[in-house]
Amino acid sequence: MSYILNTQQADQVLGALAQTYGVYAPKRFANQGRYSATDCIRYDKVTRASEIVWQVKSDYPAKEVINPIQQAIFYFTEDEYRASKCKEQPILIFARPCDINAQKIQAKIYAGNGGFTDMYYERMRERVKFVLMDCNGGDDTCFCVSMGANTVEESDYAAAVRFSENGMEVQVVDPELEPYFAGCPESAFTPAFVTENELKVTIPDLEDKEVRLALKKHPMWQEYNARCVSCGACTVACSTCTCFTTRDVIYGDNPEVGERRRVTASCQIAGFDQMAGQREFRATAGDRMRYKVLHKFHDYKARFGDRHMCVGCGRCTHRCPELISLSATINKVNAAVEEIKAGMGKV
Amino acid sequence: MNNPVQPYPCKILGVKRESEHEWTFRVACDARPQHGQFMQLSIPMIGEAPISVSAQGDGWLEFTIRNVGKVTNVIFEKTAGDTLFLRGPYGKGWPIEQFQGKHMVVITGGTGLAPVRSMLNAFAADPGYVKDVTLICGFKNEEGIVFHNELEAWKSQFQTIYALDNDAKEDWRTGMVTAFVKEIPFADWGDDYAVVVVGPPPMMKFTGLELVKCGAKVENIWMSFERKMSCAIGKCGHCRIDEVYVCLDGPVFPYAVARDLVD
Amino acid sequence: MNRDINVKKMRLNCFRQSKVPGIFMLQMRVPGGTVAAKYLTYVEHIADTWGDGTFHFGTRQTFDIPGIPYDSIPAVNAYLEQYIREVDQELCGADLDTVAHEPHPWDPKSGYPTIGARNITGCIGNYHCICGNINTFELARKIEPIIFPSHYHIKINISGCPNDCNKAHMCDFGIIGCAKLDYHPERCIGCARCVNQCEHAATRVLSLNEGTGKVEKDPCCCVGCAECARVCPTSAWTRREQPFYKVILGGRTGRQTPRAGKMFLNWASEDVVLGVLKNWQKFSAWVMDYKPEYLHGGHLIDRAGYKKFKEIILEGVELNPECLVAEDIFWHETEYRSNFNVKPMSMHHKAGPQS
Repeated sequence: MSYILNTQQADQVLGALAQTYGVYAPKRFANQGRYSATDCIRYDKVTRASEIVWQVKSDYPAKEVINPIQQAIFYFTEDEYRASKCKEQPILIFARPCDINAQKIQAKIYAGNGGFTDMYYERMRERVKFVLMDCNGGDDTCFCVSMGANTVEESDYAAAVRFSENGMEVQVVDPELEPYFAGCPESAFTPAFVTENELKVTIPDLEDKEVRLALKKHPMWQEYNARCVSCGACTVACSTCTCFTTRDVIYGDNPEVGERRRVTASCQIAGFDQMAGQREFRATAGDRMRYKVLHKFHDYKARFGDRHMCVGCGRCTHRCPELISLSATINKVNAAVEEIKAGMGKV
Repeated sequence: MNNPVQPYPCKILGVKRESEHEWTFRVACDARPQHGQFMQLSIPMIGEAPISVSAQGDGWLEFTIRNVGKVTNVIFEKTAGDTLFLRGPYGKGWPIEQFQGKHMVVITGGTGLAPVRSMLNAFAADPGYVKDVTLICGFKNEEGIVFHNELEAWKSQFQTIYALDNDAKEDWRTGMVTAFVKEIPFADWGDDYAVVVVGPPPMMKFTGLELVKCGAKVENIWMSFERKMSCAIGKCGHCRIDEVYVCLDGPVFPYAVARDLVD
Repeated sequence: MNRDINVKKMRLNCFRQSKVPGIFMLQMRVPGGTVAAKYLTYVEHIADTWGDGTFHFGTRQTFDIPGIPYDSIPAVNAYLEQYIREVDQELCGADLDTVAHEPHPWDPKSGYPTIGARNITGCIGNYHCICGNINTFELARKIEPIIFPSHYHIKINISGCPNDCNKAHMCDFGIIGCAKLDYHPERCIGCARCVNQCEHAATRVLSLNEGTGKVEKDPCCCVGCAECARVCPTSAWTRREQPFYKVILGGRTGRQTPRAGKMFLNWASEDVVLGVLKNWQKFSAWVMDYKPEYLHGGHLIDRAGYKKFKEIILEGVELNPECLVAEDIFWHETEYRSNFNVKPMSMHHKAGPQS
């Protein structure tokens, strides 16, 4: 069933949902942007529809709700490990198609790779229902259509919404959500999907192993030694990146009590691959960029088969403080691949 | 819900000092890892580290550890009776059934001996399992030598070449392990041999090249990798190289795979 | 050229004497160094019509137009009316019918009523700059009506951040935009990028606690630059909404005792900065016995002594709770002539009401 709600009704329904669900959505944090007098838009709990930022895409992805930047996985007391507990409350996440598709990618790693299912991911994911946010087209860093991440199936979401200045239109798919809309005016709303982005990206053809090996040695990556500052903002903002590090922490001054934490890690930050007492394998920004880009546009798909590890949300480009564009990087890869293939007579 | 990263407590049965920086810990544990697999050693308040199983027996495992990091430094303070936490075993070990009945070549650099130690002991205990064993062990210097007793014992059962990189030592050779590869009679063995190589990344890289140069077939060579890991179950991403995860697909890789991996 | 011109009077009208008798240079005020680009056509028109066709960026961010003959000045001043009205009166709210807040009707065709206080300079600030913490020209526009028009001189430089590109340290009253930072440990991944940035570009107040993987701060010496927030990949450091200011006092250049200013206020709110400046005329008047001289603020502080300055300048100002005030200030001067301060009593400057 679909409904049309004015702003007051939307706030009321969301308030009611928030009684049962942890409702997470993109929210504006005034003045918390990277630069002075700029805002930060990131996921947080909301209790009113008017708190939800729908006009522009969030700086940080929806994955933060499911895989927080930091979470305790074990608590220690003396010589005992106790796994952290998880709240029982079900979760609703307002997300655009890119963020919902990104969870399909994260699940391949967290809940499948090597036959191991990560309990911490799975127990969160099980509680989550998505509310699809009708995407108004994103911005000029978006290329979801090129990545096939512009649409989702009806089975991927519990409800779909389109926000406007006057309120919101909702299509309720999950019967559990129906009662919250009882009495609201009905409508014929169904979600629409972006069918074309301003930015189009051609995925490089990296099937050929010889071409790939040559690409890894190609001088194109050296550009990033001078440009990229290895801050990791791109992977933190990435909808799909999953990497983390575990770290043990002692509480206060009692060395017998503490926790083991999982903290987001980035392959772009120095030390990601460094073992104690040894040298880094990828010691330059160019090496790290090559590693990231090839994971996104070859390695992940080579392992899991279905799709590339990028939903074209453009947040990496959007958040890069050095204005490195992922789409421009892909274009450079395409040019390098052409050159390599020509050199090998493989065109 | 099953938690694959939950560690379990194990008592330390004994500690043996192999060298100044490398100690072997024997731990009570019922796990029966394949030769070449690794476990996550876990110490509350300190962290976890992947460590290869260097020997095993009924109800016990041994880990030979170099004190280089935060986790291993703390392990060095432990003694018999203390508790260590373990999880695993993880990864793919040596494909020992493929080695059966063949001429076996084992080439190690430094503590790279640890991940093959349990397999060498198995060969020593079951002399008919492989045709013979050629063991080439290189160490940086006298202080770096580990498993003194075994090295001595293996001399009588295996064809051994022990070497120090630059220093002289009685009955030992001087030079990098790559210098001795040409002495392996691959030409006499047809296709009936297997080679395993473990050591620091440059040592493995150059030994692989030298092996092929000396006539060894790529398909007959295996290597064991060591990479940073947080989870050991293919989630944390630290050990990924190209489309492989060292924790899941390794640490042992056929050379045909290993040589093309680019970190 | 035989001219009888009161050059001091010309100077008060913002026309500067040149090497050539009878030729002057106009200095147009640009509070905070930013105005609409359309005013460049005014500059061009004045330079081409009455000047020598050139234009100079004044060291205090005025539009300087040299080569204006004395006889053209009435025409120039008449033309200036619109610029003065739009920029000083409308944009900044300066009351041109007062001098030092005393009634003094302005003849709109007469150009600038006073040269004091001097043009407020500003870097581009957070209007554009990735490091800026404050909007410098908006602050300048709030200060302009407090200090102008007046015959009491003060040089105010505003820098958007503690990098102080606009040299708040080299003027009477330098204002530096600062931020108070919030740390969100749950967003911190322990990459230590902020720690490195603070070490290389600020005051080394951050350190990574290896035990917790979190960042610790020595709040005492944080300079408020917010570089930590700028470089953080996860938004674990964020600026508080309210901007804060450092006031750097008594810096100057000059032939006798150039010196860098010293910190008078730290973490002052905008209200405090404006409140202090509202006392500036009163302080200057007291020092000079209510007879304005062409003398800049730093020298007045020298005459009164810092403690007297502090007493008058903070009168009625309610300090925000974060605000710290220098108990004393010890400037370090470059003395071009060693011991030049040692001189006959009769040559000493006087302070306070003279009988």
